[in-house]
Amino acid sequence: MGKVKSLIKIKPNKYNTGDIVKVDFMVMHPMETGMRTDKQTGKLVPADYINEVKFFFNDALITNMSVWETVSTNPVFTINFKVPSEGTLKVVFKDNKGSTNEQSTKIKPKG
Amino acid sequence: MKKTLILLAASAALAFGGEQFSMSDADRAMYAEMLESNPAEMFVAGGADLLEEHCGGDAGLAKFLDVSEEKLPEYIAGFPRYVKKLEGVVALDQVLQALMAQNKQKPFALKSAEMFAMSAYAKSIANDVEINIDVTANAPMKKAYALGKEVYETKRGGRGLACLSCHSSDVIGSILRTQPLPDLGDAESNSGGTWPAYRMTKSSLTTIQKRFQGCMQNALLAVIPLGSEEMVALEVYITNLGKGNAIAIPGLKR
Amino acid sequence: MQRRSFIKGFGVVLAASAVVPVTMMAEEAKKAPVQSPNKMNIDSAIKAITGGKALVPSSKIEFKAPEIAENGAVVPVKITVESPMTKDDYVKAIHILAKKNGNVRCTDIFLTPANGTAHFATRIKLGETQDILVIAQMSDGTFLSATQNVKVTIGGCG
Ligand code: HEC
Repeated sequence: MGKVKSLIKIKPNKYNTGDIVKVDFMVMHPMETGMRTDKQTGKLVPADYINEVKFFFNDALITNMSVWETVSTNPVFTINFKVPSEGTLKVVFKDNKGSTNEQSTKIKPKG
Repeated sequence: MKKTLILLAASAALAFGGEQFSMSDADRAMYAEMLESNPAEMFVAGGADLLEEHCGGDAGLAKFLDVSEEKLPEYIAGFPRYVKKLEGVVALDQVLQALMAQNKQKPFALKSAEMFAMSAYAKSIANDVEINIDVTANAPMKKAYALGKEVYETKRGGRGLACLSCHSSDVIGSILRTQPLPDLGDAESNSGGTWPAYRMTKSSLTTIQKRFQGCMQNALLAVIPLGSEEMVALEVYITNLGKGNAIAIPGLKR
Repeated sequence: MQRRSFIKGFGVVLAASAVVPVTMMAEEAKKAPVQSPNKMNIDSAIKAITGGKALVPSSKIEFKAPEIAENGAVVPVKITVESPMTKDDYVKAIHILAKKNGNVRCTDIFLTPANGTAHFATRIKLGETQDILVIAQMSDGTFLSATQNVKVTIGGCG
């Protein structure tokens, strides 16, 4: 199976060391509640949702999230992050079916 | 006189202002802020990959349209437009279909998620450029505009409604089932410049022609097929309402 | 090219078929509601977070959600908790609970001083009009809270 599509966005575009930036992490995911009936088959669609999202900077955990099926489809998670230096921001996310994916982006302060 | 009649017909059929509660400005601001983190950006990024793979990217599209890559944004900001090579007035997704066919590939269907994503990326090439559609540029554009106006104003379906019944200047802002009727040409709705957009009610990226179909279904008007002459004409007419607005793809809609 | 005129003639026939989905939805709504596989009520959820400690309503939590949500499937929530976010004094966790959802739990966000500010935003699903409860777990072991009611309306056209 192909990778789950996801995206990390840092705002603003330009920042310095020590600045607090906004980090958006979004992922294409149905976030099925397990309570929805498929209109064609009449059967319940099994629960299928992101249940864990971890943010790392250079492999140190900065934020850890437990997520439930009550979060909207194609979820967006926004946190803040104080830029300590250049490095890599990595997001590792799992779903309730046990699959794990990750996405990362470079952090490059101007000064 | 005529306008009042249309309005009366609409209000009788739809009971405008039944339950008159709607969102506050603070609520609206909160929804507007969500545009900053629009899930559709993932779809558009996927669309860029598709364009690269199937059409040779921006360069391939520019070449097919006989414009320089530098002029491509300006040119895209004028769609739907008359494309000589295709012998007609076409929307951007139809250009992409023709380009795929030229590249000996089976074109994505106009209603496919792949086409939505790819055409969203293609239109985003013109982001920040003002809509510059020219409905008097040539005879085919004049004809398309006239047909679009006719489709927009013709009352049909069981309730005898036209697009104009709900989108004319005298009813804009009235609340219909908690939703204020939008001014399709103003800078806020910017219908000509914000589709393809992410529709939160559908959790997916949708094109303007699909959005038209949504209104047709809701107002019980027979649904006009995507890419048909009438549909493209309607897109011409509505895009022209917002001429001068800046293009901002992907939009984020309720 | 063969083509038909789509604005004249066959409007009424097709219009009739467009009504079907609406009736189907009404049928759907009449069926008994399916229970959430992760069903949990608000009291148990709060207890699991606080271990029985008191919740202190606090203006240190700035909690924004729309008073009226135009679509229950996508309701924006945004939380900022006032805190220096230093090693000795920071917000350990932000919990979002929707009191009337089958599973009241939405997200549990565990922060660190590296965040710089205790801020979190996302979009949640609400089955009906209800209160949303936000709990901030502070590094000194206290639990602050804030609540907002969100009215969920049926959407408009399309
Ligand atoms: C019954 C009234 C009604 C009729 C008739 C109607 N619309 Fe709409 N339209 C609405 C409402 C209400 C909204 C906004 C609702 C929402 O936010 O979902 C809307 C939204 C739209 C939008 C999206 C605006 C944006 O944000 O970009 C477009 C485009 C549109 N209509 C086009 C049309 C066209 C074309 C027709 C004719 C085929 C039409 N409408 C007929 C009520 C109507």
